[in-house]
Amino acid sequence: MDAAELLNWVRGPGLQIAIAVFLLGTIWRLIEIYSLGRKPDLAERRHVPGASGWHTLVRRSIPIPGMFQRSTITYVAGYAFHLGLAVVVLLFAPHIKLIQDLIGLTWPALPSQFVDLMAVVTLVAMLVVLIDRIRQPVKRFLSTFEDWLTWAVTFLPVLTGYMAARHLLLPYTLMLSLHILSVELLLVLLPFTKLFHVFTVWPSRWFNGDIQGKKGVAV
Amino acid sequence: MNEKKSGLLIDNLARQGVSRRTFLKYCATLASLMALPPTAGRAFAEALAKSHRPSVIWLSFQECTGCTESLTRSHAPTLEGLIFNSISLDYHETLQAAAGSAAEAAREAAMKENWGKYLLLVDGSVPMKDGGVYSAVGGVSNYDTLMASAKGAAAVVAIGSCASFGGLPKAQPNPTGAVPVSELVKDKPVINISGCPPIPVVMTGVLAHYLAFGTLPELDKLGRPLSFYGETIHDRCYRRPFYDQGKFAKTFDDEGARKGWCLFELGCKGPVTYNACATVKWNDGTSFPIESGHGCLGCSEPDFWDAGSFYRALSLPTTPLEKVALGAIGVGAAVGAGVALSNRAAKAKAKAAHQTATLDDLEK
Amino acid sequence: MTRLADIPVVMDDGGLTGSAPAVLREVAALLETLCRTGETASIDLRGLPLSLADRRWLLERLGKGEVDIALDIGGGSRIAETAYPGVWWVTHDNEQGVQVGEFIEVSYVPELLAPHPEDVENGLDSLKTRISELS
Repeated sequence: MDAAELLNWVRGPGLQIAIAVFLLGTIWRLIEIYSLGRKPDLAERRHVPGASGWHTLVRRSIPIPGMFQRSTITYVAGYAFHLGLAVVVLLFAPHIKLIQDLIGLTWPALPSQFVDLMAVVTLVAMLVVLIDRIRQPVKRFLSTFEDWLTWAVTFLPVLTGYMAARHLLLPYTLMLSLHILSVELLLVLLPFTKLFHVFTVWPSRWFNGDIQGKKGVAV
Repeated sequence: MNEKKSGLLIDNLARQGVSRRTFLKYCATLASLMALPPTAGRAFAEALAKSHRPSVIWLSFQECTGCTESLTRSHAPTLEGLIFNSISLDYHETLQAAAGSAAEAAREAAMKENWGKYLLLVDGSVPMKDGGVYSAVGGVSNYDTLMASAKGAAAVVAIGSCASFGGLPKAQPNPTGAVPVSELVKDKPVINISGCPPIPVVMTGVLAHYLAFGTLPELDKLGRPLSFYGETIHDRCYRRPFYDQGKFAKTFDDEGARKGWCLFELGCKGPVTYNACATVKWNDGTSFPIESGHGCLGCSEPDFWDAGSFYRALSLPTTPLEKVALGAIGVGAAVGAGVALSNRAAKAKAKAAHQTATLDDLEK
Repeated sequence: MTRLADIPVVMDDGGLTGSAPAVLREVAALLETLCRTGETASIDLRGLPLSLADRRWLLERLGKGEVDIALDIGGGSRIAETAYPGVWWVTHDNEQGVQVGEFIEVSYVPELLAPHPEDVENGLDSLKTRISELS
């Protein structure tokens, strides 16, 4: 299989498989999680219902006093790579074109030079969090195979995308194919790993805050 | 003058009114096109002038003659044409006067006379299904003709995308089992000059290189001369700055199209297409497709017919995803519902089995 | 018929990329070699990533000399001396008037000007034939 055949495969059958697994897994897990339900809570609420949930969404996005100094790398690099990913994925012209084709929504793109720069920021930040995870004994101890795997499948699309755009190492056709392939791998794994937090992070924060609020510990 | 009757290329050209200065100039620009250093232009000219007419046999298989049209048609008698004329084209079904068994006899005679030295040019792919019955000349299948002719060739040049990669005949579902030349000829150097059709000067450049130095130029992974197929259309496109600035034409008649913005979103395959159109251009250097407002089709790349619509942007899927997406959502919902019901049942069971602990239990 | 070149288009000249001064230094180096060893050389300008602005900058810096030769050899060609003797600006057009080559040549006499010895001999032969026909 040469580069052109690979590109045709990843844009055709490969994408079909990846999208199918991604949607199937995502719907399955969302229904499973939200159908678990909770016992009816008969106690009277102390605050406006839900207010603590919304508050927690914001509160937990800001480091608690002292934590920023203790885990500077986690906060800075963590924020950098999440924001960088958002810019690279959502504001690069070819990506917007793809999103428009899939769901019909579109918005203006950023200049490709700026997206390039953000890709570098993302890559560096991701390398920093990886090194931090290896160097810190506690983080290393807590890390499982899934943590390394999810890091790799997130890192690869950014790396191959950047290399394709800048024509590094391999011919563009092959690099573009590898880029799309790595995104497909990410899509396939997303519903079944901790990467599912793209769907659950905000609802679970809301629930946590709401439960704490009910218990009288508004945070 | 005896010398003027020699088979030397320069004398041949002189007879056709091409002066040495014209020839030198041509060699300088050809060397420039092939990314050879300027000093090579002179060496090129010296060697080329002294070369003899090589015997060339041109075989046409499953093809449309577009390649021949591209190579032989130009409004003025260009040097490409003259050099092409000065080779000894001993067999070409479209161009030769002879027909029938006389033509085949001419080919065999030329092969015998120049055994081991002639260049074999092939356009069109070779059908392999059902014993190769889908294309034959004089009752001989293309496969048999190719293998017999390749045996005595110095090198085989696959002209056009069909000969190089299978092209249109090999497009899905490939009814004739078409294969490119390189899949059949393994014991001779095969050089691919892809394109539908290829750029005339690319073929002349390869021929000139072979005439001058006796070798074939450096090739890329797909067997194409690197000096012409080394960079993508996108890399050398004059509209590239618009791509970098994110300025795209959205339709063929919108403001962006009129301003000459990038055609990526209209399906231009420039980023994955290796060819020299953006620099060498077409129709005697007039323009190339993107200059005329149409995206690149990617015709010099393998299987370009099967790469989805010509008008779908490269970053888009080649096949519609709606059915698969709806199916997956349906199955996902069913699985989710199933798991949810099973979780509910487990919960109900646990609730039913729940017993209140008594003081006795705790004292056990 | 309107040709592409006749359609008024505002061209973005790409701005200075910084390559042009490097070309100028290379010309100086080649000129030094010419003075010392007599070795000629040329620079293929189409092989360099020069923007329109770079090209204009180079042309301005090299200036205009005393010699400007037009050749009619398979389309027009022009060999113009720059303000620096021994540095020639060479452009080649094809039969359709489209530029197909652009070089800076460093030599005492541009390569294309001197006739080839073989051509001179052939010319001598035909001149002799002419003379013999006189009598």
